[in-house]
Amino acid sequence: MSQIKYLLLISRQGKIRLMKWFIPLSSKEKTKIINELTQTILARKPKMCNIVEYSDYKVVYRRYASLYFIVGITPDVDNELLTLELIHRYVETLDSYFGNVCELDIIFNFTKAYDILNEMTMCDGSLAESSKRNILQTIATMDSMDDHDKLDRVLS
Amino acid sequence: MGSSLKSFIKDIRNAKTLADQRTIITKQSAKIRTKLRDDHLPFSKRRVNIQKLLYLYILGEPTHFAQVECINLIASDQFVDKRLGYLATMLLLDEKQDLLTLLTNLLNNDLHHPNKYIVSLALSTLGSLSSYELARDLYPDVIHLIETSSDPFILTKSFQCLAKLIIKDSELTILEIFPIELIKEKFLDSPNVSLLTHGVWLGICKVLQSIVILLLDTSIQETPEFILAIRENLLIILPNLLDQLSSLNVKNYESNYDVQGIRDPFLQCEIIITLKWIFKLAKKVELFSPIKTKYDEKFIDIFTQLTNNSSLSLNKNPTNAILYEVTRTIFELEMNQSLRLLGINILANFLKPTNSASGSTEKGKKSKTNSNNNNNIKYVALNTLIRVVQQEPNAIAKHKKFISHCLYDPDISIKFRSLELTFAILNKDNLIELVNELIKFLHDVSLNNVNSGYVYIDMDESKELINYTIDNLVKRFDLYDSNQEKVKLQNLFEILKLTGNMISVDKLNEFLITINNVEDWKIKINCLVENIVSHMQKGKIPTSNICWNLIMIWSIGEYGDSITNQSNGKISETQLVNYLIQLNTLYSNTSKSSIKNNPSATNNTYNDHITMIQYILTSSLKLSSKINDGGNIESLRQIILNHQKDPNLMLQLKSNQYEMIFNQPANLKKLMLECMPNFVRQIETNGDETFTHTISTKAEAPSIDKNSNLLDLLSDISDKPSNSTASSVKKEVSALTLPNDAVSIFNNDLLEIYSHVVDVQPGNAHYELFFKPLSTPFNELHSLCAVPKQQKLTLGQIQPTHNNIDVNQITKQSLKIAGTGKLKLRVKLNIVTGNNETQQVQFDHKFNETI
Repeated sequence: MSQIKYLLLISRQGKIRLMKWFIPLSSKEKTKIINELTQTILARKPKMCNIVEYSDYKVVYRRYASLYFIVGITPDVDNELLTLELIHRYVETLDSYFGNVCELDIIFNFTKAYDILNEMTMCDGSLAESSKRNILQTIATMDSMDDHDKLDRVLS
Repeated sequence: MGSSLKSFIKDIRNAKTLADQRTIITKQSAKIRTKLRDDHLPFSKRRVNIQKLLYLYILGEPTHFAQVECINLIASDQFVDKRLGYLATMLLLDEKQDLLTLLTNLLNNDLHHPNKYIVSLALSTLGSLSSYELARDLYPDVIHLIETSSDPFILTKSFQCLAKLIIKDSELTILEIFPIELIKEKFLDSPNVSLLTHGVWLGICKVLQSIVILLLDTSIQETPEFILAIRENLLIILPNLLDQLSSLNVKNYESNYDVQGIRDPFLQCEIIITLKWIFKLAKKVELFSPIKTKYDEKFIDIFTQLTNNSSLSLNKNPTNAILYEVTRTIFELEMNQSLRLLGINILANFLKPTNSASGSTEKGKKSKTNSNNNNNIKYVALNTLIRVVQQEPNAIAKHKKFISHCLYDPDISIKFRSLELTFAILNKDNLIELVNELIKFLHDVSLNNVNSGYVYIDMDESKELINYTIDNLVKRFDLYDSNQEKVKLQNLFEILKLTGNMISVDKLNEFLITINNVEDWKIKINCLVENIVSHMQKGKIPTSNICWNLIMIWSIGEYGDSITNQSNGKISETQLVNYLIQLNTLYSNTSKSSIKNNPSATNNTYNDHITMIQYILTSSLKLSSKINDGGNIESLRQIILNHQKDPNLMLQLKSNQYEMIFNQPANLKKLMLECMPNFVRQIETNGDETFTHTISTKAEAPSIDKNSNLLDLLSDISDKPSNSTASSVKKEVSALTLPNDAVSIFNNDLLEIYSHVVDVQPGNAHYELFFKPLSTPFNELHSLCAVPKQQKLTLGQIQPTHNNIDVNQITKQSLKIAGTGKLKLRVKLNIVTGNNETQQVQFDHKFNETI
């Protein structure tokens, strides 16, 4: 059962690239979490494990090229190792969608990155769809419906 | 500045300085705000502006002003608008907002939309923003979808959404209506296999988990019919779950869900967890006691099967994730011992150092992330083992080799956990072996510290590691058998040699007591001789290892005579005396110079040096009664006299007192300055693991006033007794009762309020208000009061607590009013009730009194 609290994408320079909160928090609390985690995680050495204790729960992160994918997990519910797989599945899906994804893809197409995440996870951060192919198919269909709508409007 | 999203992002990113960026953001934010306010703005423009706004959201800018705009976008009939509208709504709003009621109708319509993607967007949004009202109004629609839809895509989302609604519904209304038998009939036993995709499975699991968690949470006196039916159905579903789990482990033809060749680890874990919850419920309500063994066996079979299969694909993270889930389940359900041992073996395997043949030849991203895979499994394994070590200490102790191995892991968090676990498994049998291992570890840490070439651990961290190790080792000194005293002393000195410069002087009490309490005199003295000889042969006195010096000083004072006797001439009295003189000069000079440099010196080194001098004084005094050479005795006297005018008051005092003792007749002095008696530890049973040291009454004190001096010597060593009085404070809570003359001033179905006159005088009045919850407990109670303008009010705190007030529990608040006129009061209460609803109560009250 995955019940992640949030997913943050933070660049090596400490810039936030994407954030999704699955629990209601005030913007003050959010800023605090982002600042503290950025500091902790960017300072970690590559050989260290990908699990960090933060506040009264754990945070799992993984670095892909210049981006850190950071996930806050619910203690005793989330499986740390599986959360790593969840991050990886998300990255793989992004990778297939954009075709060799890079940080800039996510910056300029952040709504797509959100769309993919929303197909994969739902509600209080639980995994809804584990198949990369299914997610990509859904997104593709929805994208084409978007284009269709836009085209319609131009024609009319 | 361009108007497209792309140029907007570029503009912000291209800003040269932070200030520039801020200007652009403020400007753009204002622009977006104006644009969105324009009712005639076409939807295409509206979308761009919302997208820009979302970018600002990611940057952490305030975006609340556009929340209504997002909801408006959903109201459009174009898919492209709805899609963005829902996305923005999910991001910008959260469950706590009142605005959500605006969504009710929109969601209701979209849940019945012919376009399945719009339905799915509505479901996602309802799932992430399920406030009480939304959940109450819309759950029938979600159930309807599950009943009627035959599209796995919609079903997946409906189940996830329903799971969320169920778990939030503490009144069980949804459970009462939800046709749980449908899961079995429509999905699990359906001939239409295409309906049961992995997504639908995940959703079903989630719903089942929600149901079970809710049932476990709510305690109902009489079990209603529908709950019995649900339990019945869970029982019927159980075999399907077991079958699916085992089939996931065998067949492998659909690569769509694979992760590194493992079949959908996500679903496997999800089913394991669902099973875990059902078994938990079963345990609590004795659900299937007659057929229990049947299910138990099947469960065990599958677990064994899982572990066997997975051993083929070791070193893969997905496999490890599943195995980890299995072990967590075993321990959480407290399953039988053979399974517990299986679980421990799995975890111990995680700790094994990697063999070079890891088998993964994947390139790029994957191989990069694999490198610290091993660390992660070590981390979770240690964590879990620490948690279950109480259940199976011996089984875990068998794997001590792997645990000790983790002490040398470069990751500090793993080091710490393996340390903790090492101490948890340490017992009489493996004591010597593990302590040696720990000494080796201390050696490693302190060495790295000196070389400072160590990449992963900085000075603070190694200090922390060392202190943690020492603290725990010290507690284990009692574990040594009486025939192991020699090893014990050797270990103790070894530890001090390695870390004496890193630990604080306060920690030495335990070391001193341990040396003091060694029963075999010969072993004790031999060991001391050995250490003193090697210490003195070095010639130069190492000042940095302050703790080591302290032990030496103390030992010389206590056992000076025996040491010289047993050293076979290697150590003379004069050497010992000179040693003390040397150290005295050393520490006196440094403490003086530190005062000069820093007059308000209260730093640690200064304090340490003062402590050292105190020990030197005591030691000199004691040694003086144990030696015969007049010259040496005089030298010792000089050390003591040396401090009679010490700027430090404590040293001055000691020096003068000792001088007095020094001048006592020899036989009296000898009696007073005998070796310390055995320390007897008294273990406080009601406190934490704190020891207080008391001196046994065997101490033969010649006279009372001398005895007080003797006790003074001990004050250096013995800990302050830690009597805990904290518990008594707690008890005073909830003892409040209503005074007899209290008058009711307000009541409704939520609470009653009384007032009570404490004191009324012209110009001053003192009242107390009493609050009593009637129907529901309060999570929080806040009160605000106001009095007429010509008066002044001082409001006290709500006593004893304003949180978690039970029904009928009385709380009070004091009111002090100063001024003149009739006493009138307006009271406003903010209450958060037990089910987290916020209520407000406001009323006016006139008192009879006037001031």
